[in-house]
Amino acid sequence: MVLLTLIIAFTGCMKDKIRYTYQISTPIYEPLTKFRESIKSTPAISISTPGKIGVFGKYIFMSETGVGIHIIDNSDPSNPKNISFINIPGNQDFAIRGNAMYADAYSDLVSFDISDPTKVITKNFDANVFPYNSIYFYGSSTDPDSINAIVGWSTRDTTVDYSPNNSGRVYPVVFSGCPNCYTLAAVPTAYSSTVSSGVVTGTNGSLSRFTIINDYLYTVDYSNLNTYSIANPFQPSYSNQVMVDYHVETIYPFKDKLFVGTNNGVYMYDIQASPGNPVLNGEFTHMRGCDPVIADNNYAYVTINDSSACLGFNNELQVVNIQDLNNSFLVQSYQLTHPIGLSKDSNNLFVCDGKDGLKVFNANDVNNLQMIADLKDAEVYDVIAMNGLAIVLAKNGLYEYDYSDISNIHLIGKL
Amino acid sequence: MTAKKILCATIIIVCSMNCFAQQQKQNAIANLYSINNVGLIEGEAGSAFQLETINGLKYKSWFAGVGLGLDFYRIRTVPLFAHIRKEFGKTVNRFFLFGDAGIDFGWRTDKETKQFPVNDKLKNGFYAQAGAGYTFRLSPVNNLSFSLGYSYKTLTEFGSNYTYIGYGAEAMPVKDSKISYHLNRFVIKAGFEF
Repeated sequence: MVLLTLIIAFTGCMKDKIRYTYQISTPIYEPLTKFRESIKSTPAISISTPGKIGVFGKYIFMSETGVGIHIIDNSDPSNPKNISFINIPGNQDFAIRGNAMYADAYSDLVSFDISDPTKVITKNFDANVFPYNSIYFYGSSTDPDSINAIVGWSTRDTTVDYSPNNSGRVYPVVFSGCPNCYTLAAVPTAYSSTVSSGVVTGTNGSLSRFTIINDYLYTVDYSNLNTYSIANPFQPSYSNQVMVDYHVETIYPFKDKLFVGTNNGVYMYDIQASPGNPVLNGEFTHMRGCDPVIADNNYAYVTINDSSACLGFNNELQVVNIQDLNNSFLVQSYQLTHPIGLSKDSNNLFVCDGKDGLKVFNANDVNNLQMIADLKDAEVYDVIAMNGLAIVLAKNGLYEYDYSDISNIHLIGKL
Repeated sequence: MTAKKILCATIIIVCSMNCFAQQQKQNAIANLYSINNVGLIEGEAGSAFQLETINGLKYKSWFAGVGLGLDFYRIRTVPLFAHIRKEFGKTVNRFFLFGDAGIDFGWRTDKETKQFPVNDKLKNGFYAQAGAGYTFRLSPVNNLSFSLGYSYKTLTEFGSNYTYIGYGAEAMPVKDSKISYHLNRFVIKAGFEF
């Protein structure tokens, strides 16, 4: 007891030394006018932080998170070529229809003419239409000459001694925002291109937050579903905004329906009666988690993962019966490792299971999905499966699988 | 996970060794010997428990062995270390000095892993202890020991951070961060030896 008392008495002499080494980033600003001039085509750059993916004709568009969009010539899927890059600081999402591409640049909606994908032309800026992502419209002014925008970061290493009074560990400062806005951890898959009025619409991955149906562009932000008319392709005009829920992540189009994935469930909107004014048609709630969703005529396929940004604890694929949108119900759940983006072509369901690779299921019987292939070539996030080709977004780039013979799915190209 | 495997393997080895130790004590000059301690660590971060098992050879007043422990001070770690001990005196109860040095394996708790995934990598550190104690003979083959010492362990965590200056935090690039722990503690231990 004496010994113990002495130890406790002298504990004050014992000091822990904890050194925290980190990097401080300070933004570099320049006038918004000049900043906007930098949004243009540049020669191809290497893929570093893939964000989202879309397919338009023979081209694959892949966002470089927060930096811009890679354009990849996929004429030969066994040899995809990175041919060009569009510099778009602050970009996360995009959608394509005809010769027009719409992309976010921080809080701006930018319209591009992509007739020549290697020389896109910036056609229009709609200022501050994504205010949740605003970094420069912080005052009342919207004059681009009087507003500064972040164009880069100055980074310096810093080491400090940390003197915690608590008994726990040291945790770095983390700003956790919208999970699908800046990280791969929450991005969705692609669908087949659609044609209406003779104009082809691109196919986005399931992690997309932009989608187009006919003459309307639909975007989701942290809590809203926004609608823009693109009847005049290079002059989008705001049409409507609908409050969906908090923590909105993805949007998926199927026929005349929009499926909006959120942390807490899936919201289904009908646009048949009024495309410019989506009407809530049904909802399906699930346990909290990051949640991309796709759908077909009868079922919605929802992945839920435990990414920390979504505060979830489950990793599963859920199949939801949506034959009656007002009475959707869970059909079956399947435990996976860390499911993210997904895509479906015919009865073949493709699910990106994070570090566990791409899993392909026969979804003929949704009560009993049968795994056809388990492809562990990469850590994967999103997939667009169509016409026998699965284009997969991975942490380290792009993978392409030929599934024209479903019993022999094999990798044919990567970038 | 490595730490978990080492721990399981050690428990099996210790159990096997103890059986041998009991059989060999009668004849061999250098005997297999096992020290199993439970400890209380006191440091700037407060109190924590420590468990360790040390198994090796005892020759006259010297003992050398390999130890494996569990250290719950600030960050859970599994130290794997070499141990040496020198006893003094000719009576059955003896004073001793000891020293340990080895590798400290980080072993995150599930709660820490789930709650703070940003600290996604641990680099193993250094582990050392030194001190003095006293053994009491319980029987010809069993001893009880008490010891007091200084304990030191290090560990490094790697993660990402978003330290931010100015507006526009949302767009700030993710950067690497490193946290190096150098932890100094007192330790008091009670052990059963055979």
